[in-house]
Amino acid sequence: MAHDFALRAKLKARGNRYEDFEIGRTFDHHWGRTITAGDNMLFTTLTLHYNPLYFNLDYARAHGHPDLVVNPMLVFSIVFGLSVEDLSEGGGAFLGVEELSFHQPVYPSETLTARSIVLSKRPSASDASVGIVTWHTQGFNGKSEQVVDFKRTNLINKRSASR
Amino acid sequence: MTLASLTSPDGYFEDFEPGQVIRHARGKTVEALENVLITNLVMNTAQGHFNEHAMQASRFGRRITFGGVTASLVIGLAAQDTAEQALAELGLDKIRFAAPVFHGDTLYAYTEVLDKAESERIDAGIVRFRHWGVNQDDKIVFEGERATLIKRRQPWADR
Repeated sequence: MAHDFALRAKLKARGNRYEDFEIGRTFDHHWGRTITAGDNMLFTTLTLHYNPLYFNLDYARAHGHPDLVVNPMLVFSIVFGLSVEDLSEGGGAFLGVEELSFHQPVYPSETLTARSIVLSKRPSASDASVGIVTWHTQGFNGKSEQVVDFKRTNLINKRSASR
Repeated sequence: MTLASLTSPDGYFEDFEPGQVIRHARGKTVEALENVLITNLVMNTAQGHFNEHAMQASRFGRRITFGGVTASLVIGLAAQDTAEQALAELGLDKIRFAAPVFHGDTLYAYTEVLDKAESERIDAGIVRFRHWGVNQDDKIVFEGERATLIKRRQPWADR
């Protein structure tokens, strides 16, 4: 027996599909994310990333940094994360990343934002229900300076294949 | 306490030889602790990484690990041997996820030194690595290249 509210509800769907990605379309991704010292310490220790620049403040300062350095893999992961609803939440495997550059260090209390542009798209040769899309994604700090950029390729469901 | 005494006696620019392949000492079992926590921490909204119920109806039958987590763990497993003396991470390239990673899988890392180059700094050089991540069945789940700015012994080993 379905709940009354469930019978009245309409799904508020999230995410885009293959048909939504015209080449050249840009997305200013939602939210932004301020990185805290806690984020950086947790991520770095959980991933066993033993470079003291990311977890020993005295060591980071002795290397000329004003604060701990944010682990670049966390910078990448956050910029990627901010892009997911617009780009890949519509389903399909994450295939790869090309030409990723880290442009400058990020420090705790900085706020990252993300933007992407559709670079290319093509139907899958082996599966008519999906296509392959490549985007160029950029991450920025609060001064609008680029801190990371990369090209990402995913399988993306076509609208006709949406569940 | 000197700076250099905080890190390993090796791992400097001079210590890497192109063609050298390293099997890293530790593996790590991926659990929700890594996958769900990091996926949510970085606000990756794809529920295939955190909705077990929805994924039971998928061809995978369970949650799959976010590739950013897999990449970060494999590079992390390689980090003490290839990043402990790094001044900066420069970039990544040719990142591929050859097979899905599930909770309970154990990842191990291997690294090949591809090449070395001068940098703009006299106290550091650029080393390019290729990393592989394999699971408990020796199946490749991650492959990718990484460029890193690494300290030279002079002056860093004496500081």
